[in-house]
Parts: sequence; C-alpha cells; structure tokens
Amino acid sequence: MKIITSVILFLNFLIISNSYALIEIDITEGNREPFPIAVTEFFYDLSQDDELDQISDDISSVISADLERTGLFNAIEEEAFIQNTASMHIRPRYEDWRLINVQALVTGELSIENDKLRVEFRLWDTYAEREIEALVLITTIENWRRISHMIADKVYERLTGEDGYFDTRILYVSENGPKNNRVKKLAIMDQDSFNHRYLTSGKELVLTPRFNPVRQEIIYLSYFKNLPRVYLLDIQTGIQEVIGDFNGMTFAPRFSPDGNKIVFSLARDGNSDIYVMDVNSRIVERLTESPSIDTSPSYSPDGKRITFNSDRGGSQQIYVMDSKGRNQKRISRGTGNYATPVWSPRGDLIAFTKNFKGRYYIGVMRTDGTGERLLTENWYQEAPSWSSNGRVLVFYRETPANDDGEGHSSMLWSIDLTGFNERQIITPEDASDPSWSRLIQ
Amino acid sequence: MKYSIISSLILHLGIILMAVISLPIFNDPELDMTPIIQVELIEIAEKTNVPEVSKKQEKKPEKKDEKKKEDIKVTKPIIKPKDEKSNEIVKDPVEEEEIVKEKIEKKMLENLPIKKPIEKKEDKYDPLKLFELIDKQEDSKTIIEDVEDLGYEAIEATPSLDKRLSLDDEAAIRAQFMSCWSLDAGRIYDDTDIVSIKIFLNIDGSHQKLPEIIESHRNRMAKPNESRYKILAEGALRAVRRCDPLTTVPNINEYDIWKEMQLNFDPREKLR
Repeated sequence: MKIITSVILFLNFLIISNSYALIEIDITEGNREPFPIAVTEFFYDLSQDDELDQISDDISSVISADLERTGLFNAIEEEAFIQNTASMHIRPRYEDWRLINVQALVTGELSIENDKLRVEFRLWDTYAEREIEALVLITTIENWRRISHMIADKVYERLTGEDGYFDTRILYVSENGPKNNRVKKLAIMDQDSFNHRYLTSGKELVLTPRFNPVRQEIIYLSYFKNLPRVYLLDIQTGIQEVIGDFNGMTFAPRFSPDGNKIVFSLARDGNSDIYVMDVNSRIVERLTESPSIDTSPSYSPDGKRITFNSDRGGSQQIYVMDSKGRNQKRISRGTGNYATPVWSPRGDLIAFTKNFKGRYYIGVMRTDGTGERLLTENWYQEAPSWSSNGRVLVFYRETPANDDGEGHSSMLWSIDLTGFNERQIITPEDASDPSWSRLIQ
Repeated sequence: MKYSIISSLILHLGIILMAVISLPIFNDPELDMTPIIQVELIEIAEKTNVPEVSKKQEKKPEKKDEKKKEDIKVTKPIIKPKDEKSNEIVKDPVEEEEIVKEKIEKKMLENLPIKKPIEKKEDKYDPLKLFELIDKQEDSKTIIEDVEDLGYEAIEATPSLDKRLSLDDEAAIRAQFMSCWSLDAGRIYDDTDIVSIKIFLNIDGSHQKLPEIIESHRNRMAKPNESRYKILAEGALRAVRRCDPLTTVPNINEYDIWKEMQLNFDPREKLR
C-alpha cells in the first residue's frame, strides 16, 4: 500500500513540476546593426557668449563622429529629432526618441564661468527611461575638442563596457617626394586627424616611432650621418635625447608596458637578435641568440612575455618567449610569412602582417596562435598598431605606382576587430609606420 | 468441439449485445448538436478581434491603468473569474445567454472586416466553456468588455501538461529578440556572461508587467566590479523592452504555456 501511495505521489509531483516549468528560450545572437544614438546640440543660455552657439554645434558633431567611426553606433540625423533642445534640457520625452528608434540619447549644457568652458553632459537610456551617466567637465574654451572626445569616451564606455579610445593621438611618419628620395618627418595628430603637427623637419630619415604607454614620450629611429640612432623625445617639452648609438643596424624599438624598458632588435654580422635596454640605467641585455633573423619584438600588457618574429624555422613566423628570453615557442602555424606581431593592450590577441602569395593581410590570432583571423587584404600593407582599448588597429597601406612611376601612395587605415569597419585616416601627406597612443592622461 | 464453438458464439453475441445496450456510442443519437455551435464559433472568433477596438480606445493616456487591469483580467484562466464573482447577484442564465448572444451578433456586424484569426481559433472552441462564461458575465461591464472577455476566455484551452512551445513558435520568438538585441561584436565575453530575464506576456504579446532579471543575475549586476556585466544586462533588458509587444505570438490556445517565459541572453558564441 505504501509503495502504491509513494508511486502516486511521485507521479503527481512529476505532473505538477512539469506543468509549472517555465519555458526558457536562449538568445545566442543579436543584431549587428550599429546602436542608434542621438547626440543633441548642447543647450546654452542665449544671453551668454555668442561663441557658445558654434561650440554647441561642434561638440555634438565631434561626439557623433567619434561614435560613428567605431562602426558600433549610428548617430541619428538631427533632422529626425522630434523634441527640441530647450525642452530636452529639462527632461527627454522618451517616447519621442523611441519613435525614431533612438536607444540612447546624449544631451548637455554649456556655460562660461570665469572664462572657462563648463560642459555638463547626460546620457539617457530611452527604453529604461532613466539617466545612466552624467558628468561635468571644465576647461579652457579652446580645449572644447578634447572635451568632446572625453565625452565620447564616457558614452562609449557606458554603453559597451570597454574603455573608449577617442582622446588619443596617432604618431606616424609623414612622407613626400619621389619614391627613391622620400622626405620623412615625424608627425602627430588626434585620432580623428585634427590638431596635426610635425615633430621633425625631415632633414634626417625617421623610422618606427612608438609611444611610451605611460608618459608623453616617444621613441624613434633616425639616421644621423647614415648611422641609425634611437631617440627619446618628450612631446610636451620637446626635449630630445639619444638613448642608443649602437654598433649595428637597429630596428623597431618599442616600450615595455611600464615605460621603463625598450625592446628592439639589433643586427650584427648578418645576424639579428632581440635586446632589451633599461631606459634609466641604459643597461642592454640580449634576449635571443639564434643564428636566424629575430626582429619586431612587442611586450604583452603584463610585461611578462614578448612576441617577435623569426625565420629560424625556414620562414618568417611569430614566436613568443618570456621577458627574460626563455621558453621561446613558435605560435603561428598558417601558410605564408608572418611579420610585425603586436600584442593587444587587453592581452587577448596578437596582431600581425601576413604575406601569402604576393598579397598582404592584417590579421589577429590568440596568444597561443589559435583562432587566426585575417581582417583585411591588399597589395601592400603592414605595421599594425592597437588602439588603447584593443578594439581597432591602425596600419598603413601602399598603392602601386603605374608604369610611369606615378600613382604610388601610402596612407593610414584603421580596421576594427570584426573586420567590417575599415576606414582611411586622413593625413596631409603620405603616411606610414603609425603608432596609436594610450588615452591621454 | 461443436459444443465449445456454440458456447463461444453465444458468449460473443452476449458481449456484443451488452455493448450495444450499455455503451454511449451505440446509444446516444442526440450528440450531433455540434453543427449549431459551429456557426457560433465563427461569430466568437470574430469577436476575438474586439479587444483591438477596445485597446485603441484605451490608448488614451487617462485610461492607461484601466487597460493594464483589463489585460491582466483577460489573461486569467477560466476558473478565476468565478471566485471574483462569488458575491455578485446571479442572473437567470437563460436571459443572460440571450443578452450576450445579441451582443455578439451586434459586435460581429461591427467588426465584419476583421476575419483573420477565425480559422486558427475554430478547432479549439469549447461550447461548454462558452456557456460557463455566459453565466459569469458581470452586469457592470460594457458590451465591449463582455465580448472581449468572452472572446479571450473562450479560446483558452486546458493547460497542457507538456509545457513546450513548438519549434516554429520558439524560433519566431527567438528571432524577434535577436533583432531587438544590439550586441557588441568586438567585445570579449566569458563563460559567465549570460543574462536571464523573465517576461510576463498578455495574450496579444504585450508585456503584462515589467520584465525581471533573475535574482542571481540582478545581484551580480549590483556588484561594483561587475560594470561590464551590468552593461550587458542593461542591453538585454533594452532588447526585451524594444520587443514589446511581440509582433508574432505563439498559438494563443497555448497561452498558459507562454504567458511567462525566461529569456537567456547568451552572447558567448559571438566571436568563437
């Protein structure tokens, strides 16, 4: 009898639990459309300086452009806005914004206090119907562009969960003149091509400029009386010093993540190896001793490992070793030659240039060499450099000259990790060897 | 041998005779009443469109709360209204039936062009439930409310013990939320990056109440070092709100199955 009762109770339990089980649906994909966002003109008191009229317009344009360039956002045109700036300043009418498919809204207010520009911005979630970010920034009036980038960074960070990369600069080699007699100058600009300036005159050839990740310094290679030298330049003070006058060809110097070491390759007697130099003590230590060509070293963000390329296996491939030069291990396994490996600032990927059947590719792979993805392909392109958040790569691409020797160009391009958002970065002249700074402190 | 064959034959005949006498299938010619009801089925199906009319009226801001209340009411199973009306004056069922029939006919004429859902609801019509409902109509209700309730409740089927949606319905719901979910393709997701949200639907696919992130995930969102997860969860919640109302709802006869659902937003496959 007990057994029968137990069985009946068990069956009842099964039936009841089954009938109240909640249906679960797994949503494993989302849409890849850019996130619709509206950046409104920033509100200001009309009785204040007329200058604010233009600044209000400019700030919203810069923020919109920054966000749109990521490929992740779609800045809705102002013509589509239903609510006007004045009433929005008090509180957005969420339903009006949802009607034009806006998911997030940026509003702001400008004022001038003690000759300083006060910018207050707010980010609203139109579906949750609440403010999700608000910040006040005060700066000189001339600095409105940088403030705009900082606001764009905040918006990006709040909506993606990752740091922005808009308040950053790109350092590169500006080129002009015929191909056999190029004048190469160091140049620096904001990531959106504004505030461009040259750092060297072009009298000497310059190569491979790199930012210090923690200080406003750059390192680059220049030929003085046909001898390669490594220079350290403080871009705030303009003070420059030679940190290495090496007996042999020097290539691709690059800072360690803490900015205290420089890793580079040095060619002696036809053999190129990786070396590291302490910036303060100037002590140089050799890391590789292979009879092959080891070059293009780059530190991992934790400073514990270094990736480089070497032809020790018969073809140019990517290797990884620890920061003392031990445990050297090849990670690239695909066909073709791999060069210029660069470790992502977020540590998950290594970007590289690949040459396969006469075509050049910019790609990424995991740090163990798996998951290789080629992001872009062209006639000639190389030297990828990561944005500060590890989401975008800047590189340079050359176009071939025609039979008359005309038509050659070299331009900077960027591509994001999805491989779908490829954009040219405008420079006044031809450009090569870009290096992307970390967020300006 | 002969004896056994004859006795077997007699026994078989006896069993058949008993079956003819006792089983209702041989003995209940009155059951073919259904054709009359079949006609009414079409009428009621027409009436199921009436809520759309009433909703338009309710869209006026001042009646917003009312609409919500009605939605909730409409979605309740048949048994529940019985309890609510236990204190009300019970009218003569025959009179009530006549009144409601008149109302149905009147509304049917008003809404003749809206014929889409007829076929879908036809099979599930239960005449017994119709009369049960007629008995339960409230005097205070308007004609529209009466018919609206009738329409909805009449099509409600007995809850299935097997709580599963068809693959087509599941795929349709999934597709809607996928299109509403703006997912950041370049971001790194780890194995714990799943956001589960419970939704509560009205029969028309609109939200009965605000969606709820399940408690453990809500707790994780609140942690100061989980800002990335919080942003992921906010994005999932935004997707749910964007998809309100669902444009395609599963079979309304299975409303009891899908009125509450858990959506698991799982972006981990994104860059694999």
